[in-house]
Amino acid sequence: MDLVLTTFLKMAFMLAVILGLVPVLIWAERKGSAYIQDRTGPNRAGIAGIRLAGLIHPIADVLKLLFKEDVRPAGVHRVMYALAPFLVFFIALLTYAVIPFGDYLEVGGRRIPLVVADLDVGILYVLAIASLGTYGIVMGGWASNNKYTFLGAVRSTSQMISYEISMGLALMGLLLVSESLRLTDVVAGQGQLLWGFLPRWGVVIQPLGAILFMTAAFAETNRNPFDLPEGESELVSGYHLEYSSMKFALFFMAEYTNLVVASALIATLYFGGWNIPWLPRAVIEARAGGLLSLLLAAHVAICALAAALFLRRASRERGRFGDGRDREPGLMAGVSILLGLAGLAALALRPWEIGPAGASLLATVLQVGAFVGKVVFFCWFFIWVRWTLPRFRYDQLMHLGWKVMLPLALANLVVTAVVVALV
Amino acid sequence: MKGKVHGYGGKMTLGERLYLGEIFRGLGITIRHVIRNLLHTGDMPTVQYPEERRAYSPRFRGRHRLMKREDGTPRCVACMMCSTACPADCIHIVAEEHPDPAIEKAPASFEIDLLRCVYCGLCEEACPCDAIRMDTGIYDMAADSRAKFYVDKEFLLNNTTDGTR
Amino acid sequence: MVKLTIDGRELEFAAGTSLFEACRVARGEALPHFCYHPDLSVAGVCRLCQVEVEGMPKLTIACNTSVREGMVVHTRSERVRRAAQQILEMHLINHPVDCPICDQAGECGLQDQYMNYGLYESEVSISDKVNKAKVQVIGPRVVLDKERCVLCSRCVRFCDEVTRTGELGIFNRGDRAEIGVAPGRQLDNAYSLNTVDICPVGALTSLDFRFKKRVWLLRSTPSICHGCATGCNVRVDHEAGTVYRLKPRRNPAVNGSWMCDEGRDTYRELHAASRLSEPLLRRDGELRAATWPEAWAALAGAAGRELPPGAAVVSPRQSLEEIALFAHLAAALGVPAAAIGGGPREADRGEGDDLLRSADLAPNRAALGWLGLQEPAGADLAARVRAAKGAVLVYGADPAADAPGWREAVAGRTVIHLGTHRNATAEAADIVIPLSAWAERDGLFVNRQGRVQASRRAIARPGLAQEDWRFLADWLAAAGAAEVPASLPELRRWVAGRVTALAGVDLAVLPPEGLVPDAVAAGSGGES
Repeated sequence: MDLVLTTFLKMAFMLAVILGLVPVLIWAERKGSAYIQDRTGPNRAGIAGIRLAGLIHPIADVLKLLFKEDVRPAGVHRVMYALAPFLVFFIALLTYAVIPFGDYLEVGGRRIPLVVADLDVGILYVLAIASLGTYGIVMGGWASNNKYTFLGAVRSTSQMISYEISMGLALMGLLLVSESLRLTDVVAGQGQLLWGFLPRWGVVIQPLGAILFMTAAFAETNRNPFDLPEGESELVSGYHLEYSSMKFALFFMAEYTNLVVASALIATLYFGGWNIPWLPRAVIEARAGGLLSLLLAAHVAICALAAALFLRRASRERGRFGDGRDREPGLMAGVSILLGLAGLAALALRPWEIGPAGASLLATVLQVGAFVGKVVFFCWFFIWVRWTLPRFRYDQLMHLGWKVMLPLALANLVVTAVVVALV
Repeated sequence: MKGKVHGYGGKMTLGERLYLGEIFRGLGITIRHVIRNLLHTGDMPTVQYPEERRAYSPRFRGRHRLMKREDGTPRCVACMMCSTACPADCIHIVAEEHPDPAIEKAPASFEIDLLRCVYCGLCEEACPCDAIRMDTGIYDMAADSRAKFYVDKEFLLNNTTDGTR
Repeated sequence: MVKLTIDGRELEFAAGTSLFEACRVARGEALPHFCYHPDLSVAGVCRLCQVEVEGMPKLTIACNTSVREGMVVHTRSERVRRAAQQILEMHLINHPVDCPICDQAGECGLQDQYMNYGLYESEVSISDKVNKAKVQVIGPRVVLDKERCVLCSRCVRFCDEVTRTGELGIFNRGDRAEIGVAPGRQLDNAYSLNTVDICPVGALTSLDFRFKKRVWLLRSTPSICHGCATGCNVRVDHEAGTVYRLKPRRNPAVNGSWMCDEGRDTYRELHAASRLSEPLLRRDGELRAATWPEAWAALAGAAGRELPPGAAVVSPRQSLEEIALFAHLAAALGVPAAAIGGGPREADRGEGDDLLRSADLAPNRAALGWLGLQEPAGADLAARVRAAKGAVLVYGADPAADAPGWREAVAGRTVIHLGTHRNATAEAADIVIPLSAWAERDGLFVNRQGRVQASRRAIARPGLAQEDWRFLADWLAAAGAAEVPASLPELRRWVAGRVTALAGVDLAVLPPEGLVPDAVAAGSGGES
């Protein structure tokens, strides 16, 4: 019973994090691309003048998509057409089951491992599920009865086939090193230090593998520079061209969900997962009081700085718009001050005298935070790359996949195998 | 941003052909933009359109208007010079007899399809009576049907700065 | 023949040719002029056509000079050019230059001459100009603007010499001289709009056409007036599928430069509200719009039930090809030869005169005779139709209005009306087929002289209406006839082969003035 309950809670936590990240990512994509291109980006939608630098836009988008007419074009294969977006989204969510997002949570003396399903064959599961994603795309593209969607689907398949192999081979190298297919083992192995100072992260011991895996991950998620399946300039918008309303939204969300999956995988396999470098759990639990006090003090300082900045803007831009938007900086300053005061109040509760249970909890929270932070960074990295690089041409894509990445992955595997055998 | 630009067909160096280094160089450029724009939000060239507006030249050609005589009737004599000159064929005039033989001809109807208009200003140039002008400076027009962009004589005679109709 | 040199070219002309016409030939274009008109007497008042003749101390007007042996004429010298410019400036001294509101703008002699020979800076201010009456309605069809007039006197001469009614005259002297109507009279003769045509400026304008369209937007198609048997050569001026006016086209063999006012009104029937634009079928006692497939089904049904024998009536308003093809179709459908004919004879009769207007208002009556079709009087027609049992085909004619006893004769029989308007016959018909009106298709017409002239398609047909010959040919094909013409030239060859009067005539290349077949010219030679 407990197992079921905790599993459901862990699933709920993961779902909340992922689905909560999607609108933020959409916002980050729009705002980030705008700042890269010296534009302002979304800053219009607001609730009573509160715009949060465009964060309200995803809410407006969702509302719009919910109320849009669900157009089904003539000549579609009804079942597959309706099934495809759900399949894509569902498969995107499946991978999370095996990703450990923390070490363990200690509740009443019992340790709950922070992974939904700690499979023995975790990595194989990841590879299996990742290649399923293309089925939804192929179904959607074929069922739409449109040449553009169909071309997008075909491209997606060929791209998946080309990069799946390199991805798998790159992972093989990591498996040889970590000697386990279980993702928790892979992460735990990365918590040690190499030669006493270097974190034993996948990227350190398998740098080529990391690069190959990341590149393949970009290709598997259909993100720029590998977004040929949707290539607007050639295919209008690719496999989901004929979708509208929430069906389109599901494709859209699946894209970002896949992005989070890929980021989580990269973080888990090559960047230490939930490990905080040079700060193992034992150290955190030993120095919990000091750490917590330091964190709270930093929080108060950041809140004070934010409040000062918001107050400055409030005084500078007084009456700039002549509507609710003028209140925004003042309100944000107030929120910052309140948060700062909350931090101060927490400091007044003597955090340096924290007990062992609290220390364990703090360690878990920090580790989960580290994992989420790494995931968010790689999500941003995906966005960052998208707005920096141009899209590949189709022949370049194939050239890179078969004639560059595949030999490199093989070489990486052979070298790793030799080294592992010798050491 | 300064940078070396390669022409098509130029030989790439080994470093450039490895691609990875260039990717990171590109990432560096884009992140510099992000950081600069984050720190100096106000310096962006974006015009916050409805609140801020670019100052247009007085010669800017906006929505048309019809000039009036002192008695308030249109100055237009329905000579069709504008509709003849119009490359978009958007001016439709029906002439009628004016009761005053000194004026003789007047427009019974004068309609402009604002959606067909290309705002070239040839109608202004062609008008012998200075009856049509495009000096209202109105360029933001919105309506919920095409028919509302098909404006008539009364509208053009009383053309002010509000929206379409 | 006399030989003379114009602008360095030596040319020969018949003695008595006016120097103006000689210069027109030599130059390839007319000299600048306002008052000269080939079909009017020479007035020599505008002084614009002055040319330099060697041996003469002063410039001389070409219109009032006859060619002489050994003459050496210069029409493009600087002296001639300056003279034209100065005369033009004089003409324009009191002209209001109100081109924007002037209907003549675009086909105005003043505008053309100014662009060709003028282009000077005017020294007359608008306030110094002599003001005269504007917008004077001087007749049922004509408006006069005295300010714009250049006193060329063409209109006065027209009324004196052509119509011999003499309504117009020039009154007063000097810069107060003006055109006017004789006291107590109106410009109301049957040819009054010709004064508008010949007015080189905007002084005389047509009340009907006034302000309807700027002339530069119009396209012109040469055609034949369908108002009467004279067959005046006309120009159909139209834009975007609408005909705005008819203008005479010069043909000395038929109409000179003129046409009558009634003929000019005939364009209105093209756009009448009663035009047929879709097939109509009688259902539940009422005519209702139908599609072409339904119409074809109805035609086939009627033909199968009630033909032969049947009767067929065709109007002399249809073209030669159409009448011939219709008669052929009727025969192919089994209508006995005696029951195919034109008529009724009383229809299309008007008042004629000895100038252009014919009392016969049908433009193609001669063609009926050429094709051997009889044309009974109304009562005879009704009796003949009554005698022939079966369906009745009516093409273009309106016997229900024109033939007494028609309605009784066709009672209880299927009436198939092929036509352009919803006339009385169409209202009483069971199947109504929409076809093209005269400006909507090509056709040949035989006028009262026996002259074959071509009428050209100017505008598109309304709605679902079909081209006549194509519909007839389709029906012919549907009726299983062996020879069905596939194109209009083929149809014309076929017609020429069936008409004895047209033996040896190639209808594909008609001369611009029309063609009187030798057989006809040798015979009676037509009415006039």
